[in-house]
Amino acid sequence: MVETIRVNLKVNGKQYVLDIPPDERLIDTLRYRLGFTSIKEGCGRGECGSCIVLVNGLPRHSCLTLTATLDGAEILTVEGLAPEGKLHAIQVAFLETRGVQCGFCTPAFMLLTKALLDKTLDPSDEEIKQWLASAICRCGSYHYYFKAVRKAAEYLKKGKILFDEKEVRKNLYKLPLLR
Amino acid sequence: MKPLAGGTELLLLIRDRRIPTPKYLLDLNAIRKELSYVKLEEDKVRIGAATTLYELSQSILHKDKRYAGFVDVFYGFATMAMRFYATIGGNILSATQYNDYLTLLTVYEPELVLVSKQGERRLTLEQLVLDKRKLAIRPDELLKEIIISVPPENTSSSFMKFDRRRILIAGVVTGAVLLTLNDNVIEDVKISFDMIREKRVPGRARKTEEFLQGKELSEEVVEEAAEEILPSEMERMSDWWTTGEYRLDMSKVVLKRNIFRAARRIRGEK
Repeated sequence: MVETIRVNLKVNGKQYVLDIPPDERLIDTLRYRLGFTSIKEGCGRGECGSCIVLVNGLPRHSCLTLTATLDGAEILTVEGLAPEGKLHAIQVAFLETRGVQCGFCTPAFMLLTKALLDKTLDPSDEEIKQWLASAICRCGSYHYYFKAVRKAAEYLKKGKILFDEKEVRKNLYKLPLLR
Repeated sequence: MKPLAGGTELLLLIRDRRIPTPKYLLDLNAIRKELSYVKLEEDKVRIGAATTLYELSQSILHKDKRYAGFVDVFYGFATMAMRFYATIGGNILSATQYNDYLTLLTVYEPELVLVSKQGERRLTLEQLVLDKRKLAIRPDELLKEIIISVPPENTSSSFMKFDRRRILIAGVVTGAVLLTLNDNVIEDVKISFDMIREKRVPGRARKTEEFLQGKELSEEVVEEAAEEILPSEMERMSDWWTTGEYRLDMSKVVLKRNIFRAARRIRGEK
């Protein structure tokens, strides 16, 4: 019986060498070993999508992945979207369209948006629906997320990727109320 | 010991204690690249067992109308995120009536290549999948390849899944049809459902196929096949989700819609 397995992981641009039990799930590694708490465990069986992270650029349920199988993989969580003090265009778009309600599922939706916009900056309605349907939002912010994806795509098309966090927060209060 | 590919089914089964916890899992990631491909070779399409569904969607299978059923299955399969790492081989070897690729492949009559230290073995789907979660695969064997014969030009398929939602569903009734038309005459037709009778895995509605073979495609013929012939060979179960009666009724509807959709696809209509 193997006690631990050595795994090389690149999480949010930082290299980690981990000795982990072979039956450890990626969500446990990320949350409890490395402290990336943006990933949540909802159902633990790949239905709710709250645990989605990007593995080598593609969405993947971290609750249905064994870390030991990911040697050499690159993982992105929402913490890695932008450096300290900055916000990524996707985060700004979600804030500005009031896409965030309770925030539990938001990291998953942002990562799905990131993966989708990496593929195409002109996603059709059907594509947005297909991709974002991978996660479930109990607050029902889906219609905001639609707008958020389009807004993020606009920002990215203009080449605006990183925003200053303080600026964005200041301007948030000036936004008109949504109906 | 169990081989682990995508893990979307196996890890769930272990988590829910539906199978005895395996002592070892064999990670197939190391050979995944060699086992993920869709190749068109003369009159055969060869699909690697570890091809993810997303890779399938980028292949010839989603561009040619003869494999239109693959597009139908893809867009009703779990959620987008899962299609990036669930594999077609895993779907087949899960072997339940809810495995959509199993229902679809049943009409394509594929050949399945199993490899072990002793060499290769080729089985048909019916020889491999014996019953729900019962497979003719030996513990030392791996599924390597799925081989489909390229269907004739005037052929198309259609797959339909009925349930309360569009995605993340098992399907109350699922069915697939592979239709070959010569002008308006049904040259060949293959019909599968998630369950025909007894065996709780996808099966063929052979009597209905025989009835339709060689007939002129019309509303009346399909109506008769669905209302008279299909119920004579189909026995549906009642369970927690719905009644056998409702399932049978929906099977008729699925059959009719599948046939006409496949016919429309052959003619190049929407």
